[in-house]
Amino acid sequence: MFYLKVLEITSLYTILVLGVYLMTGLTGLFSLGQGAFVSIGAYTAAIAYMNFGAPFPLALALAVIIGAILGFLVGIPTLRLRRDYFLLVTFCLSEMVRAALLYLSQLTGGALGMAGMPKRVGLPLILGSIVVITFITYSLKRSRFGRDCIAIRDDELAASMMGINVYAHKIKVFMISSAITAYGGALYAFNILFIEPNLFNWLESAKLIIITFVGGLNSIAGVIIASTIYYSFGEFFRFIDVWRDVLLAVVVVLVIIFRPGGLLQGLELLPSKLRAMRRGR
Amino acid sequence: MNWNILLQQILNGISLGGVYALMAVGFGLIFNVLKFSNFSHGGVVTLSAYIGFFLSQHLLPSFLVTFLLTAVAGGLAAVTIERLVFRPIRRKGYPVSMLIVNSITVAMLVQQFFAVTLGSDYYTYPVFIKETALHLGNLTVSKIYLLMLGISAVVLGGLSYVIRKTKIGIAIRAVSSDISTPSLMGVNVDFVISVAFFFSGVLGGITGYLLGMAFTVDPFIGSMILKGIIASIIGGMGSILGGVIAGLLLGAAESLLIAEIGAALTPIVIYGAIIVLLLIRPQGIAGKIAEVKA
Amino acid sequence: MEILRVEGISKHFGGVVALEGFSMVQQENQITGIIGPNGAGKTTVFNLITGATPVDHGSILFMDREITKLPAHRRADQGIARTFQNIRLFRNLSVLDNMKVAHDMKVLYTLWEEMLRLPRVGKQERRIDEKARHFLAYLGLERFGDQKPHNLPYGIQRRLELARTLMTEPRILLLDEPAAGLNPHEVRSLMDTIRKIQEDNALTIVIVEHHMELIMNICSLIHVLDFGKKIAEGEPAAIKENEQVLQAYLGEEV
Repeated sequence: MFYLKVLEITSLYTILVLGVYLMTGLTGLFSLGQGAFVSIGAYTAAIAYMNFGAPFPLALALAVIIGAILGFLVGIPTLRLRRDYFLLVTFCLSEMVRAALLYLSQLTGGALGMAGMPKRVGLPLILGSIVVITFITYSLKRSRFGRDCIAIRDDELAASMMGINVYAHKIKVFMISSAITAYGGALYAFNILFIEPNLFNWLESAKLIIITFVGGLNSIAGVIIASTIYYSFGEFFRFIDVWRDVLLAVVVVLVIIFRPGGLLQGLELLPSKLRAMRRGR
Repeated sequence: MNWNILLQQILNGISLGGVYALMAVGFGLIFNVLKFSNFSHGGVVTLSAYIGFFLSQHLLPSFLVTFLLTAVAGGLAAVTIERLVFRPIRRKGYPVSMLIVNSITVAMLVQQFFAVTLGSDYYTYPVFIKETALHLGNLTVSKIYLLMLGISAVVLGGLSYVIRKTKIGIAIRAVSSDISTPSLMGVNVDFVISVAFFFSGVLGGITGYLLGMAFTVDPFIGSMILKGIIASIIGGMGSILGGVIAGLLLGAAESLLIAEIGAALTPIVIYGAIIVLLLIRPQGIAGKIAEVKA
Repeated sequence: MEILRVEGISKHFGGVVALEGFSMVQQENQITGIIGPNGAGKTTVFNLITGATPVDHGSILFMDREITKLPAHRRADQGIARTFQNIRLFRNLSVLDNMKVAHDMKVLYTLWEEMLRLPRVGKQERRIDEKARHFLAYLGLERFGDQKPHNLPYGIQRRLELARTLMTEPRILLLDEPAAGLNPHEVRSLMDTIRKIQEDNALTIVIVEHHMELIMNICSLIHVLDFGKKIAEGEPAAIKENEQVLQAYLGEEV
């Protein structure tokens, strides 16, 4: 039971990390507001289900759609500007959403949060979601969309000279990322069964970014591994759990300075690559 | 709301706005020089707030001495952070995004460190000034707030002078406008960057001390940097005057809004306004849009 | 046939004049040079034509259509391609992917198909892959497909940038100092390459360059810039004799 619970929580967070991977890892967009999208997804699904009697699948779909729409609305004014503005405005967004959730207490329960959702999300659904999301992310990474992401990350001006609509592409990236993140939030609400406005503050958003860097910008496999280690760590090493974030921070600084490609240095763990490695290439 | 209350709120807001301005300028200084959002500034603020507390509570209860020591400590902390986590990245020529990640990480490190070690308690500075209020006609001003405003004004005025008139200030501006050329002209860029971090850290140290003195110290006090960042955006990222005006405006607006529509709705309105402002005027009130060099 | 018409374009940065009232008419299938001392505004001409920086005044017509206000990526789509003075390849993409990126605007599959990896994606990806390998081989770069560009020698990187522009299916190529940093042997081979590219693909080419031998040898028309203004225009032989041009260059040497 204990291991099951650990696996569930770790996998939930891995979905969030995958959401961030597309924009921060591949495209180089930093958002300190992804925690807000987790909250948006969680609250959208919970409110739709609890207050409006929406069936569970519809509640999940709504979370995804609202996440994407909000991503669009936030992206429009900010993604045309320098990257820092995007970072800072998403930071503002996370505070704004938190304040809004507290304020709209009739709908959200305010500081008391929401509870009483039925447990509709178990390990099979979470792991299934990871497989699907990884498949989608990887499909995107290995064709046009992913190439354009990396080109934009490396050199926006050169990318636009090659015919890439940088602004539109970033908006698409942000929408997809936000949709995935909101979906993760919805799963969270129906697995943990309790949500409150302070659950995903800027620090949680920051961790998602940081884990992406530890795993490596060019490696989905690395990111999944890093996320799994980090989020299951505390469960197995309770006695130093409180030091987990301090430890993470130290590890990150060291990785970035001495191994900037991340743990796996951009390697994807695919059957073909593994076979090639065994052959000693 | 009558005029008296209105004025009173603006006065309170401006006092706090002075501290926002300090943060905006401390944040903007590094943004100008190295072109990245330095979240570790929040870490320096938190660290300084604790340092100020321990100095004044346990070492010697003198406002002036502990204040100055904390300011210097903040400066040294920022220089140390630059040496340890930013310089290696700069040396290796990694992209700016790596600087951002490290700055976020340092902010997290400081916050979580204090959360683990001292997080369960609130710490209060000794009482330097008896909490008496000055009366100006119908207005009352808290002496602490007045002190905060005065210090902010002196410090920012001094910094502005240093940046505009002194040799090191000119060097900082030169490095800000182009990081590669000054080194060709014999300027020690690493040194200039260290000095910029020292100045920024001194501002962070003062911010931490003032916040700690006005409120209580907890690990999350550095999150106040968000207000400074907002002021920095409104002011146009790194313009000192812009940051000051925006800091004061933000403080006044916040205090008025809290009085008018309540503390719950205020952040929603303020953050919403920032997003709208960026739509209309992305360069802020005093800044220029940086064009990408081809 | 006229392909590009630039009328009185200007660009100021702060108080500094980068380019003032520059005009040029480019005929199809011709190689034209733009020369001038450092800081004369040559690269600015390219930046304005490609949309890298917005134009302050003046207008740009490409194939009889006004493109002055068109965003950069749309201009690339219409057939304006360029290289950069300081090579700008994508560091985190392989050589092959650097090539493919330049063709991505012509891709027909949708984002949804891409997410689900539907058959059309695979089919087009194979076609793009062939095309990229074709142009790599065309410039003798096929060996480097899987490498990262910054691991390659400088001359190869320049060549790769040239190959990459061909992937955009260009009508006009703007080459910004293609000979910079190359040895004399490489420069001669570059001249052959430029001629070959021009003839094989029926391209129009504009070259910004300091290297006089290259310009005089392969350009049929030359524009001379000095301090952001055009001081001469003509065939290579006439430019060599032009008083003002000589002075501008002598002035630089002093």
